[in-house]
Amino acid sequence: MESTSQRTRRQHQGLAIAKRRFVASVTVPLLLYESLGIFVLVWAFVLMFFDYSPGRLGGPLLGLGGSNPFVGLGNFIEMVSGDSVQAGLFRASLRNTLIFAVAVLPLNLVITLPLSWLLESIGNRFKALYRTIYFLPVLTSSVGVALIWMSMYDPQGGWINAIIRFFGGTPVAWLSDPRAGFAGISVAMWAVIIAYLWQDYGYNMVIFIAALQGVPQELREAALIDGANSWQAFTRITLPLIRPTMLFVCVMTMLSSFQVFDIIQVMTNGGPNNQTQVLMLDIYKSAFRYQNMGWAAAESFVLFLIVMGVTLFQMRVLRTDWEY
Amino acid sequence: MKHKILALLIVLAIGLTACGGGAEPAGEEGVIVLRMWVHTNNAFIAGYEAAIAAYEAEHPNVDIQLENFDYELYLQTLQTAMPAGEEADILQLFGTWTSQYYERLAPVPPEVMTVEEAQQTFYAAPIGGFIVDGVLYGMPQEFNMEYGGVLVNKSLYEAAGLPYPPQWQTMDDVLADAQALTQTDASGMMSVAGFHFTSADPTAFSFLAGIKQRGGDYWNADRTGFTFNTPEARAQLQWMVDAVNAGVVDPVVFNDETNFVIDAFFQGKVGIGYIGAWAIAEGQANFPDFADEWDYFYLPPFEGDPVFVADSGWGLTVSPNSQHQDIAWDFIKFLTTNPEMAMQWNIASGTIPAMPAVAESPEIAAAMPWVPKALEILPYGQYLGNMPDRDLVVYEIIYPHILNTLQGVETIDQALQAIDTEANSTFR
Repeated sequence: MESTSQRTRRQHQGLAIAKRRFVASVTVPLLLYESLGIFVLVWAFVLMFFDYSPGRLGGPLLGLGGSNPFVGLGNFIEMVSGDSVQAGLFRASLRNTLIFAVAVLPLNLVITLPLSWLLESIGNRFKALYRTIYFLPVLTSSVGVALIWMSMYDPQGGWINAIIRFFGGTPVAWLSDPRAGFAGISVAMWAVIIAYLWQDYGYNMVIFIAALQGVPQELREAALIDGANSWQAFTRITLPLIRPTMLFVCVMTMLSSFQVFDIIQVMTNGGPNNQTQVLMLDIYKSAFRYQNMGWAAAESFVLFLIVMGVTLFQMRVLRTDWEY
Repeated sequence: MKHKILALLIVLAIGLTACGGGAEPAGEEGVIVLRMWVHTNNAFIAGYEAAIAAYEAEHPNVDIQLENFDYELYLQTLQTAMPAGEEADILQLFGTWTSQYYERLAPVPPEVMTVEEAQQTFYAAPIGGFIVDGVLYGMPQEFNMEYGGVLVNKSLYEAAGLPYPPQWQTMDDVLADAQALTQTDASGMMSVAGFHFTSADPTAFSFLAGIKQRGGDYWNADRTGFTFNTPEARAQLQWMVDAVNAGVVDPVVFNDETNFVIDAFFQGKVGIGYIGAWAIAEGQANFPDFADEWDYFYLPPFEGDPVFVADSGWGLTVSPNSQHQDIAWDFIKFLTTNPEMAMQWNIASGTIPAMPAVAESPEIAAAMPWVPKALEILPYGQYLGNMPDRDLVVYEIIYPHILNTLQGVETIDQALQAIDTEANSTFR
């Protein structure tokens, strides 16, 4: 007859076998998944040191070398000081991407934070309705949003120019006039920024509303009792308390701004005069339209460095060491 | 432990094999299956399907499977499939791309067609792109002519009180008609462009044609570099600026991104729309309710003979990885050099034939009345030339700088200097 200790040992052995089986069954798919992801990253890293085009046969090892020659840091040197059309487009794209991101982030915060605060202060009856309305553009496809805004910006039949004409003004070719600008930024860039903000602001609003709901009401009430007005309560109590959320929103908005692609590709395709050509669009064109994969990989690496640098900077500036 | 590692490796190998492709499509016993890739264009596809059906009727042991991709996706698919050796047996390729892909294409076997035979069979411009370093890599199906052809809106002509059909002897006559056709709204914005020549292909190819017609060239003597900063190029660009200043088109409101010429013409916003004949089928398909009467004509030369340059248009090539290259070439020869088959494909796709024998046929004249109008100038067509990157030169260098000049953002000198420098940088 089996003793208790033998039974316990057998149960432990069975458990150990089951654990090993589980680990093995999970490890294989994970290894496959990770190896694919890592291979792509390594491949992109290698490509940026080559003048690689998939149309050329190249050398025997993965097509590298031969007619796809090793150029070392040549791609990066060309980006900084070259006079080729790719170098010019890269520098214009980098400048436009920075303009886009720097304009979008504060504008987004200026719109979403007060609106969230207002929405949070109204009755529960309408809160869900407004939240749904504001969130709807986020659910709409970027291509759809781009087409809607293109029709509104149409120089001849768009309703924005129709309003301008109604009041006797001069209509504007919003998406195609390279001469028109405001505050040093082209009108076409402002036009795509507005369309992008319209689509994106509902996302941050929902996050801010959740953060505002988490702020203890007693703190605000205590401040009001101590003589603070609503503005002071907001800036001295609420705002510092939602700083971790601000950090999250800033990082995510900055990241998505640096990676903007679809809405610009549909609305302007980088025009007029490359004034809305952003880095992601330039990378896409270099890789898939002009088959310059090595150059596109180098551009992607630059974008990665910028995004990482900006994210680390934001995390340092907005970091908090406390919770409530 | 060794056994476990071995088992893990076997599982990984099985998994990777299952993920991998590359297997030949399984067909019925004795049936040879070929895959054929083309870009999505319904008119083109209808022509291919008819040709495949005719070929399969003559060769019951062959099954050609047609797969199509949206234009952008097709480019990406080619670029990823070719290095992996996973491309189809038969590949539709724009002839001018051949110089970029030829290392991954199978040469045409001499018993199928020699270079000399190809040059005698097809017009110079369409076959030019399929020849790289004296080797033939494919056969053209169309004469891709972006120069000289214009859509003309008869209704707008009659409304403007102009004689129709147009009686153009010189380009000045065209501009005179265009000025009469142009309309602006109360706010001063152009609502109808008299002569819309400011889309990418018309702008670039009329610029290149103008250089040639004035006796210049944009290639250096040994074709290792470009010469865009020349008196002939300056004269042509000046002509374009003068046309804009004459008020026939507002290049800010009418260009490649805003009011693209096909869309604008078939919405009644253009009197004379400069675009290749391929636009006819596209316009008819996309704007079936367009009620205005219209027709297709050819412009007089800027100067001298109507010399022009053209891309090598769509044609067919074979993958060197195909197991049945002989059958693939037999099908391509059947489709592109058999006059009856080539004709049906050109009629179905609405394209100008690549073979003079087909272009001059009465059947083509009956089905596509604009082709006989082009016959006088087709022999003047020259191949564009094998550029390091044709799309980069045309769409990112020539067109943007010319458009900038027409929009008043650059001067003629700045534009020519920039085009010359940037175009030559593509050779590096």
